[in-house]
Amino acid sequence: MAHFEIKDLGFEYPTSMGKPTLEGINLTIERGEYVTFCGRSGSGKTTLLRHLKSVLAPHGKLSGEILFSGKPLEDASLREQSFKIGYVMQNPDNQIVTDKVWHELAFGLESLGYDQKTIRLRVAEMASYFGIQGWFYKDVAELSGGQKQLLNLASIMAMQPEVLILDEPTSQLDPIAAADFLNTVKKINRELRTTIIITEHRLEDIFYASDKVVVLEEGRIIAADNPRKVGEFLKDEKHFMFAAMPTPVQVYYGVPNEEICPLTVREGGEWLDKIFVEKEVKVSAVDEANAFCEEDIAQPAVELKEVWFRYEKNAPDILKGVSLKVPKAELFAVVGGNGTGKSTMLKSICGICRGYRGKVWINGKRLEKYKAAELFYENLAMLPQDPQSLFVKKTVKEDLQEMLARKEQDRAEEITKVAEICEITHLLERHPYDLSGGEQQRVALAKVLLTKPKILLLDEPTKGIDNFFKLKFAEILDKLKKQGITIIMVSHDVEFCAKYADTVSMFFDGGIITTNTPHKFFSKNSFYTTAANRMSRHIFENAITNEDVIYLCQKNL
Amino acid sequence: MKNTFSAYHPFINLLFYIGAMVFGMILMHPAFLLCSVALAFAYYMALANQKSKYLFRMLVLFLVVAFTNPFFNHSGEKILFIYMNGRVYTLEALCYGMVLAAMFITVITWFASYNIVMTSDKFLYCFGRLLPAVSLLLTMVFRFVPAYKRQIGQIASARKCIGKSTENGTALQKAEHGMAVLSALASWAFEGGIVAADSMRSRGFGSGGRTSFSVYRWESRDRGLLFLMLVLIFGIIGCVAKGGAYAAYTPKIVLAGIDNRYTWMGVIFYGIFLSIPTVVNLAEECKWLILKSKI
Repeated sequence: MAHFEIKDLGFEYPTSMGKPTLEGINLTIERGEYVTFCGRSGSGKTTLLRHLKSVLAPHGKLSGEILFSGKPLEDASLREQSFKIGYVMQNPDNQIVTDKVWHELAFGLESLGYDQKTIRLRVAEMASYFGIQGWFYKDVAELSGGQKQLLNLASIMAMQPEVLILDEPTSQLDPIAAADFLNTVKKINRELRTTIIITEHRLEDIFYASDKVVVLEEGRIIAADNPRKVGEFLKDEKHFMFAAMPTPVQVYYGVPNEEICPLTVREGGEWLDKIFVEKEVKVSAVDEANAFCEEDIAQPAVELKEVWFRYEKNAPDILKGVSLKVPKAELFAVVGGNGTGKSTMLKSICGICRGYRGKVWINGKRLEKYKAAELFYENLAMLPQDPQSLFVKKTVKEDLQEMLARKEQDRAEEITKVAEICEITHLLERHPYDLSGGEQQRVALAKVLLTKPKILLLDEPTKGIDNFFKLKFAEILDKLKKQGITIIMVSHDVEFCAKYADTVSMFFDGGIITTNTPHKFFSKNSFYTTAANRMSRHIFENAITNEDVIYLCQKNL
Repeated sequence: MKNTFSAYHPFINLLFYIGAMVFGMILMHPAFLLCSVALAFAYYMALANQKSKYLFRMLVLFLVVAFTNPFFNHSGEKILFIYMNGRVYTLEALCYGMVLAAMFITVITWFASYNIVMTSDKFLYCFGRLLPAVSLLLTMVFRFVPAYKRQIGQIASARKCIGKSTENGTALQKAEHGMAVLSALASWAFEGGIVAADSMRSRGFGSGGRTSFSVYRWESRDRGLLFLMLVLIFGIIGCVAKGGAYAAYTPKIVLAGIDNRYTWMGVIFYGIFLSIPTVVNLAEECKWLILKSKI
């Protein structure tokens, strides 16, 4: 008997005016299956997932039916659904209810009215299985994002659910924490036979593990099959979702060959071996720009010289002598692990964190010499990590208008212009909180651009955005660069930096370790590099993007 | 020093503090006061970070309260000096002031160590059984208040970087920017609240029959200490009822004397009771010294 059976499901929000959000959904999910839903933002993924748990289902016009273990889902009581169907949401912070880790683990069991002894045992089990013992007594506020999301997962698993539904659980996490989290989900699926239903942008980490991949578009299922078949389908359809496929799949379909489609980096490497067997590699490197040379920069947009910073007198140093020169009108990316001080460096450039030693120059003038009004108008602006912290009004339009001084209301055409650049014209009347992550990011960018900055600082701009939006975002950055704006970006997103940055720096232990062009930078690294590079480094010298690998394969075959 | 007393069951901690503070506020006999001042400070000093600063502040507070009391209280027989058209500054009022001041700093010091020992979750554990809904609400407040504070900081610095700082501009602009931060916080909090509510309901909140889980266990050492504390409390109450702690300061100082056996018995009970946390900690320390020396 199927675990979930969705029969001809249709759904319409009361506000959508005749345009259904879901339409004709038919899907069977077997017990113990790992099912991945993909589709661009707004394709109805979250709406569909929420319908699989009655208490979270949105209000609106529903048609069709959902069977859970052969019985209609709505017949299962709140209590039964609570412990049989677990649901992990996007935001690690807001899902946590209590203030202590141990209390959060027990919360669901308390709600269901278990006695002290049972709860103690279950909590102990969960803490051991998820490796939480070390921080069992901590305040939840002290945890990192990855730990918080793991806690959310553990506190749901404590109720021993049969099905685990995860709605973009790693969109707010850094890549290492995300991979950790997804590995735990995989482990749960393998070891406990828990059915997994998940949506994700980061398909690299889950695509190969899925039994079934379901592609949604405008509320309809356009493909539901095993990963290889879905890859083939999207390629044949020339579908835009193909851009979200993992690197090996994209490269595979860029090169004419007869082999089986690889899904992981390892399979990708083996596949390259096979197609190059007994063939000579004539061209082994792509052309690249000259190596980055800091001395060549005559007039840097931003210069840091041995900046030291710590938050309190007795706290450890966060920045330990950062020196940096950023050339004008370039996209300068800084990559590095969590908590190394990347974001603090950005804050020290815009003066939120003042270093206690060292100097900062903005356009050749000392940071201290600027007045605040001067510094943040037509000069420097920062897009914060969480775009929501910039939204203060009820609609996007009002939010943008806030940026214009009162007497400048006639500059309305400027808003139109900026909205066009950021492609948010159709969103102007919406509430900023109702937008998807990628849309919020662009609205926040538009707001920042209204200060007409010459230097733009971006803190993790690609966090929580799907690949499709990333392409758009990259286009916008390119437009800005052409207008002469210098962009400094701090990111975990290695693939994005490899593809679009002009210069990449590695940040570690409070300082810049090395700076170079993406090709030179990533082809020298062996761990901290792109999937395309890891897959092809034994054959090609400096292929770092999918396009590089495809290009070199085509040259040689 | 490791705080062993706080590792006892929350009820033991709570009972001790209720006893210490109630007795601290009603017992005005100098012998009892001496006990409470000395032992309250002894325990707090073992836990506190900034000892000398705290001691200095308490000394100042003591002197201010003690010496200003006679300015407001003029009864008493022995006049020290007369000021401002015949107002009197009496010895009795001064003594009474010192007693009040001692009481004052004792209770403050008990509260200071209470804050270290009785963490929010212990407090909730003690009162959660009486009012489960209120206790959950409080837990959430403990979580949300610091979260809101952090978010305000984040919004303010995000806005500063687009030139909307609350630190400069005209007063009107400052107020406007401050309001914007608050309104942004409100939307953010509201959004977060919806997610939290979903998360609660999806974990069966409201399905009825909620229980309350705790990580505390009632052990034999808790039983032993409870028994001792109850005996002492009844002992103290008995002695006080017999007039062992009688003290009057104005208009004439009358104290229950040392010859009164209820007084010295009461002081001994009181002293033992108040030294429980300190002795528990010291005993643990000694035990480890002995264990170490055996190896």
